[in-house]
Amino acid sequence: MTQHHPDSLKLMEYSAGNLSDPHALCIRLHLDQCSHCRSRVDMLDSLGAVMMEQQSQVSVSNSMFDSILARIDESADEPFSPSVPNSASPLQKLLGEDLNKLPWKRQLGDASVYDITDQFPGQNEQVVLQKLTAGGKAPSHTHRGEETTIVLQGAFTDNKGVFNQWDFVTLDSQDNHKPVALPGDDCITLSVLSAPVKLTGTFTRLLNPFIR
Amino acid sequence: MKIVNSTHAIVKEHPVTTLEQTSARAEGRKDPWSQLLEKVGKSQDRQAYHALFEHFGPQIKYYAMANGLASHAEELVQEVFVSIWRRSCLYDWRKAAASTWIFTIARNQRIDMLRKMRRTSVEMAVETDDLWQIPGDNEDEPVTSLHRLMSERRIRESLKHLPEEQTTVIAKVYMENKSHQRVANELNIPLGTVKSRVRLALNKLKVILQDQNV
Repeated sequence: MTQHHPDSLKLMEYSAGNLSDPHALCIRLHLDQCSHCRSRVDMLDSLGAVMMEQQSQVSVSNSMFDSILARIDESADEPFSPSVPNSASPLQKLLGEDLNKLPWKRQLGDASVYDITDQFPGQNEQVVLQKLTAGGKAPSHTHRGEETTIVLQGAFTDNKGVFNQWDFVTLDSQDNHKPVALPGDDCITLSVLSAPVKLTGTFTRLLNPFIR
Repeated sequence: MKIVNSTHAIVKEHPVTTLEQTSARAEGRKDPWSQLLEKVGKSQDRQAYHALFEHFGPQIKYYAMANGLASHAEELVQEVFVSIWRRSCLYDWRKAAASTWIFTIARNQRIDMLRKMRRTSVEMAVETDDLWQIPGDNEDEPVTSLHRLMSERRIRESLKHLPEEQTTVIAKVYMENKSHQRVANELNIPLGTVKSRVRLALNKLKVILQDQNV
């Protein structure tokens, strides 16, 4: 059971269809595992439906209906197969079966990353998978913009609590974030960053030769 | 009892649905649009489909116009209705009212249309429907009919009692597809004010109340 949920405002932007694809992906993955948030999204979708019917009406023509019927008749012999679009989880479609076998790039100490920004063309955000070996520490860092993270495997802890699989975390520039993976599985997270991460503490000099 | 009666009042207005009136009590809670949509799904009933078009077609056209797709408004209505026809066999009235189900299809078709317009040479591995689910697509989802059907009715009722400044913000988010930040810029009020108006509204609509049960 997940403990950390997206807030209602975020779910509303999801329900309205106003989130970028990577952000929608994080929400969708959480919803798959969280009946509590699914029922909130159901209500928000109903709010959307009610908003749509409140608006001033315009007219549609019968000729439009005729062309819809024509299109239906045209495609009558290709029946819709509902099982196809949702047969695999979006995560599997993007990343395959085994997250541990991805081409991880070792960063510092216990942390590795795999950048999947390229899979979301035309978006302004950075989309990265991060892996912390079980029991390992990530370098301390703050965020310049907002970071949305969902835990895909294992668990980590920081000054805000323990985050288990499918927990949803939003961090901003106020948060100095020092995650530690819990023992057991390697902890893998999916993060969407609106601006690059800024490292704090002693690692900064190692990483950034210009400061040295 | 009051609610059941009022449903029947609406049902009576629609000739296609009067036969259903004597059905079981739960069936009585089904709204007329959901009954029509079921007919389309079960027997490809074109008369029912036309009634849905007359009711929801204008709403979807307005939806497209409000969020900046004015020159593609009729195209969106067509895409949504073709999709309604093809997916109607999946529709389950116990999982969502017809209007909610149709709203999510309109939303996804809009996202899809914008995606196609912007499409770069790189194809995306995930489709719109992978990211934004249509209620009922997930077969494992347990049925919680009354709760959902009641919630739509309750939202419609409560919305009438919200202050205008709150409904304005919600309309901009849902109909004009503006982020909270853009709504703030447009109304020339701080982002915090937009967020608190949304929270107040969601509270009254009992969407947020559920946060406390976590």
